[in-house]
Amino acid sequence: MDVFATNFQTIDWVIVCVYICIPVVIGIIVKKYIRQLSDFIVAGRSLRLFIAIATLTGTELGLVTVMYNSELGFLHGLSAFHVGIIEVFCILTIGLTGFIVYKLRELRVMTIPEFYQLRFGRNVRIVGGIILALGGILNMGLFLQAGARFMMGITGYSNPAGLKIFMSVMLIMVLVYTVMGGMVSVVLNDFMQFVVLSIGMIIGSFFAISKIGWANLFQAPPTVDSASWFNPVSEGSGFGSIYVIFMVILTFSAGALWQSGTLRALSAKTPKVAKQLYAWSSVSYLARRIIPMLWGVCAFIFVSQTPRLLEAFQGPEALNSQFGMPLFMAKVLPSGFLGLIAAGMFAAFMSTHDSYLLSWSSVITQDIVAPLKKDRLSDRARLLITRICIVAIGVFLLIWGLWFEAPVSLWNYMAVTGTIYLAGAFTVVTAGLYWKKASRVGAKIALYAGLLAILGIGPWTRGENVPFYLSDKFIGVMTFLIAFLGMILGSLLFPDKTEPEEAKE
Amino acid sequence: MNWELLWKAVLIFTLAGYSLLVIIVIFGGIGNIVDMLHDLLNPPDQE
Repeated sequence: MDVFATNFQTIDWVIVCVYICIPVVIGIIVKKYIRQLSDFIVAGRSLRLFIAIATLTGTELGLVTVMYNSELGFLHGLSAFHVGIIEVFCILTIGLTGFIVYKLRELRVMTIPEFYQLRFGRNVRIVGGIILALGGILNMGLFLQAGARFMMGITGYSNPAGLKIFMSVMLIMVLVYTVMGGMVSVVLNDFMQFVVLSIGMIIGSFFAISKIGWANLFQAPPTVDSASWFNPVSEGSGFGSIYVIFMVILTFSAGALWQSGTLRALSAKTPKVAKQLYAWSSVSYLARRIIPMLWGVCAFIFVSQTPRLLEAFQGPEALNSQFGMPLFMAKVLPSGFLGLIAAGMFAAFMSTHDSYLLSWSSVITQDIVAPLKKDRLSDRARLLITRICIVAIGVFLLIWGLWFEAPVSLWNYMAVTGTIYLAGAFTVVTAGLYWKKASRVGAKIALYAGLLAILGIGPWTRGENVPFYLSDKFIGVMTFLIAFLGMILGSLLFPDKTEPEEAKE
Repeated sequence: MNWELLWKAVLIFTLAGYSLLVIIVIFGGIGNIVDMLHDLLNPPDQE
């Protein structure tokens, strides 16, 4: 069997092309609804429960999510499911308690660093904004690359130039409608993509399971160790106890404070809706993990049963493991449905990209540029800067995606780059909301500590026999710990003598 | 611990629960979109 053989036909191309034009049309139509900055960034705080669930899922269930989760399933088998279980408990806890998100929505802030200013002053907001933008933009650095790999695998396009072509076309499409419509167009597209992608994922799962067989799914392939296929803490699973601890801290903090997700809570009509949003979305969070992981597991079983494919994924010239799932789906899904899945995934790629572009560009405008200008920027100027930032970030993503190859799996890369922001943000926001003694010095130490996570994507993390203290998961856990200790010690040793000006107002 | 049984239950729960959620959100979401666009054209403070 040819490695890049696919069922993708002309009809599938037609479906994809028609489908991807729809978001651009929506972007043009809804431009009339954008009259002020809050309309652009938080949709005028008018999101009700069900549309908020759809848009949160549309954002957090992107093509890159499908890629990194399917890669985890492909590399680690069913043991990867533990990440989904951890995440669903974290999101449900946030939803039931309203931890962080309820209070933030009550304060009517548009970005997390805006809260830093309310609680700790302008300087902390600028530092927090820079670190958030840095971590966030690095985090989405491989989105384009992963998306292009999916499209190559599913369409069977094996030309080496394919990566560049797909990356460029995908980027241009996203930029056009994000720059035009802002959050309103993002919300409408997210809803449409939620519907198409969700139905596609459910039906696609049945195709995948029927190809492999329900019973075979729960038997480790002969090429892997049976215990590590099922048990995430068994030796050889590639995870281990430290990894599980890292996932608990990371998914809880990301659930509460990942800017693009939290933006949905901040856009909710009321604080109560923000809270309900998380409780309901816990099922979506579970699905966004488990379903792609299932596809990855099926792909690995399929590859291990097909000598030609097995050969392609082994040896020094081996294909990147991200290709496993799309190559499998391209062979088992029928033409027509394959086009719909590809269109849905491409749409998912756009819905994640638009939200992330909007998130990080609004952070640069609202939390770095505006405070530096002492908030003397008009809404019009802020909108213009936000749009310029969206394009600039897009160009960076194209360059980074072509040049950088992650030393770890895609998910681990994202976990570590996310920690750059989350370690500081989680500590600072939690302490700021729930601990009266939290001080400006403590906040700054915690935010700077997050930068340590950059060590987790260095070349020293590559390879099989890396000492544990140089592994990405250990660096991730330590970054959170140092940020936490930094906040406590900094606040106790250097308490605030005055309140920030903003708090007095 | 029976990992196989656990992952089977997780998989069935995910596929069934998500299918149900999708149906609920599709019907509820359409009404929400209409309300949202109405709010944006007629902001409460201008009414």
